[in-house]
Amino acid sequence: MSKLKVAFQLNDKDVALSVDPNDTLLDVLRGQLNLTGTKKGCGKGECGACTVILDGEAVNACLIPIMKVMGRSVQTIEGIGDEKNLHPLQEAFIDKGAIQCGYCTPGMIMSSKALLDKTKSPTQSEIREAIAGNICRCTGYVKIEEAVQAAAEKMRDS
Amino acid sequence: MKEYQVVGKSVRRLDALEKATGMGTFTTDLALPGMLYAKVLRSPHAHARIVKIDTGRAEQLPGVEAVACFKNTTRVKFNHSATMTFTVPPMEAVLDECIYDDVVRYVGDEVAAVAAVSERIAEEALALIDVEYELLPAVFDPVKAMEPDAPDIHIKKAGCFLCGKNIPGEKIHLALGNVEEGFKESDVIIEETFYLPVQKQAQLETQAALATVSNNGDITVWSTTQTPHPTRQILSHIFQIPQSKIRVLNPPYIGGGFGVRIGLSAKAEPIAVDLAMKTKKPVKIVYDRKEDFTSTDTRHSGIVTVKLGAKKDGTFQALQLKGLLNTGAYCSFGAETIGVLGAMGLSVYRAPHMLYTGNSVYTNITPAGAFRGFGNPQAMFAIETVVDMMAERLGMDAKELRLKNIIKPGDPWILPYSCQSTGLAECIEKGAKEIGWERRGTLNKPGDTLRRGIGMAVGTHVSDAWPFCGDFSNAYVTIQADGSVHVASGVPDMGTGTRTTLGQFAAEVIGVGMEHVSVTIADTQSTPFDIGSHASRTCYVAGQAVMKAATEARGYALAYAANMLNEPLEDLTILDAVVFCRGDRKLTLAEVARHAHLHNEQFIGVGKVIPQNAPPWLAHFAEVEVDTETGQVRLLKMVAAHDVGKAINPVIVEGQLQGGVVQGMGYALSEEVIFDREGRSQHDAYHKYMLLTAEDMPEIKAIIVEAEDPTGPCGAKGVGETGQVATAPAIASAIYDAVGVRMKQLPMTEERVFQALQELQKR
Ligand code: FES
Ligand code: FES
Repeated sequence: MSKLKVAFQLNDKDVALSVDPNDTLLDVLRGQLNLTGTKKGCGKGECGACTVILDGEAVNACLIPIMKVMGRSVQTIEGIGDEKNLHPLQEAFIDKGAIQCGYCTPGMIMSSKALLDKTKSPTQSEIREAIAGNICRCTGYVKIEEAVQAAAEKMRDS
Repeated sequence: MKEYQVVGKSVRRLDALEKATGMGTFTTDLALPGMLYAKVLRSPHAHARIVKIDTGRAEQLPGVEAVACFKNTTRVKFNHSATMTFTVPPMEAVLDECIYDDVVRYVGDEVAAVAAVSERIAEEALALIDVEYELLPAVFDPVKAMEPDAPDIHIKKAGCFLCGKNIPGEKIHLALGNVEEGFKESDVIIEETFYLPVQKQAQLETQAALATVSNNGDITVWSTTQTPHPTRQILSHIFQIPQSKIRVLNPPYIGGGFGVRIGLSAKAEPIAVDLAMKTKKPVKIVYDRKEDFTSTDTRHSGIVTVKLGAKKDGTFQALQLKGLLNTGAYCSFGAETIGVLGAMGLSVYRAPHMLYTGNSVYTNITPAGAFRGFGNPQAMFAIETVVDMMAERLGMDAKELRLKNIIKPGDPWILPYSCQSTGLAECIEKGAKEIGWERRGTLNKPGDTLRRGIGMAVGTHVSDAWPFCGDFSNAYVTIQADGSVHVASGVPDMGTGTRTTLGQFAAEVIGVGMEHVSVTIADTQSTPFDIGSHASRTCYVAGQAVMKAATEARGYALAYAANMLNEPLEDLTILDAVVFCRGDRKLTLAEVARHAHLHNEQFIGVGKVIPQNAPPWLAHFAEVEVDTETGQVRLLKMVAAHDVGKAINPVIVEGQLQGGVVQGMGYALSEEVIFDREGRSQHDAYHKYMLLTAEDMPEIKAIIVEAEDPTGPCGAKGVGETGQVATAPAIASAIYDAVGVRMKQLPMTEERVFQALQELQKR
């Protein structure tokens, strides 16, 4: 398989790679760049575990052919905060007990972030809509919703 | 009630930071240099003999390093569930499968596997394997499968233990008093039959394993198993290699489980180990979502019949329960689940006469095994619906009828251990208050097409697997040379908060804050033997082992400090990592440990526990709205009041309850795997399998009741499974209150409710 060159912004840094054009963004993130924070639950756009933010929109990385990312900006869970500087969503997920197995967590946080980046005071139904494509089999969503609300509040206050 | 420093507090989970930042490692994330990828060829037929298999073309494909099938692979029989490691005599473990066989028994059964340099090449190679099948007659219906002319799915031979036509293991028989007498003494008798669906765990991380084999034969397997130590035993048996040569561990995170990997992660571990042995390279296998649906254990579908007899005043006189579970193509937990169905079903109410008979049966569908609740949700949907009907027949309030008949400590009951605590009455009262029970039956006006209803159901569960299976735990607790505390326990944390909870026990016992504690779990090499995470047991049993080990380690530290200080031992205590003598601060624990270290001593405690068992209790309430024109059921509110004994970490406990309730809501309303006439799953992907999403959530209220059990660590009981147990019958009861139809089949889909409404109108 001949490789192609692709260049894009990843977590605010420029990256240039040679890739298999049949790969998805998820394949490249996990397989080539070792950014395994973005999870794979189905590979078919049905679970949301692979959610990343592409040019401001939450998308399923498993559905994005890598060549479609050319020149665009990708944000993953690794790019939004770390232990010293947690994103308010990460902090709220931790504090509210919204994380159980944690496999859905990065995707949930990225879907929620795409919402909060645009909507400062989301309603319950806006939050639910934003994460409706993210399956969580552990929590029953209760504490996740609470966490997103808490993060929104915190982001408004700061 | 005892005052604790760390126990009972919702301390931050030890795993939360890594998981929130995408830094937590799961099996699917692992990679090793030179690693190969495995893919599996699965049977397209429900029952067939492989007459010819030619792997030559696949082996020739560049990048393929090995192809495995029954011809070149061990055919030692095993059971992929952990039952083969802890089935207690006189019961015998059913060993009815090998990695690849020359007979396939369901659509999705393993035929062959390829190891190649990429997943894509492995996949391509599968298409090059030529297989010729001779089709065999298949059976999918559990009743038909027991008829004399049904095809035999397994033949009785060494290890494969049959006690009737296609019946694996044993027929279960539990009795108290004499039900015939009991029914004679009853004024009202109700008998009904219920039909339960196949439900899928659908945990977010599919089955996965990565295996390496060193040139001196040491095997290491990272995997998604809920039970590393039993998994090691199973692998040792399959490959006939000493257990000491095998290491099984979680990496350490698992993306959920809910029972689907108690024992092997389906066949991920043995497939990876075998291919690693064949290629001398690390081999990783990750099931795709379709395989996870078609070829890993499900909840048992089945048929449950309940016959309940009561006196006019509502006193239960006789309760008879019959269970039939469809265990699919391989036994897995079939023999145990059918036992738990009966045992749990008969241990909620007091009745002088009880009888349970039940068995599992093989058919040619995906094997059924363990799934949160383990037979109990099947039992309680049936029993609680009949109890509701009995209340109506007697003209009694359904809540009062339950309060009148629930088990109290000291009542005779069917289980071989004693009931020493129950907060069920409190659960019922608190839940009823929260839902507004008094509004029941008053919510609608004649002619309303959107009709509201309120319902309830109750139940119990276990806090470990004893006496249904073997059950014990061990733990090490070490006070390190700097005074910090290390806990080693063999149980995984599949998301239930095990690691944090065990850390809390150690911190509490020794007298340090959580910041001093680290916990190693789920590794056969660095943790002592433990059965693993199942049966709601990790907090209750592994917690006891950690407390014991911590008590011992603390004892050594205090004895050492007494010597150092030249003070009587009984005057010393540890609080906040400081040793106090009669209330005076003396030394930090770090100073004591450091001193000990320099004088050649370390404080290591070993905790070994053979547990008793304890019943958690639960009352669920539901408020629904039913559209009589479509049959659609909308959930408005769910209340789950649970007696979990002491809640060690209340936020974690709430999370368990909420998650369990939502799985129960799916079981009630939408989740079902159906097989077509050829035995092919019609629900083998997330978009086909109707999981509820955030948008479907009603208000969910979890209420914690703490009737501490004297046998539990700090009084704790099991909580992992209880949320599933009585959700569906509570919703069914609410549907009845709303529209007057009694649903006897799950899930209660729009179509089924609509049909029931139509039938009601005809009557
Ligand atoms: S992995 Fe992309 S949606 Fe499931
Ligand atoms: S926390 Fe496990 S799937 Fe969401």
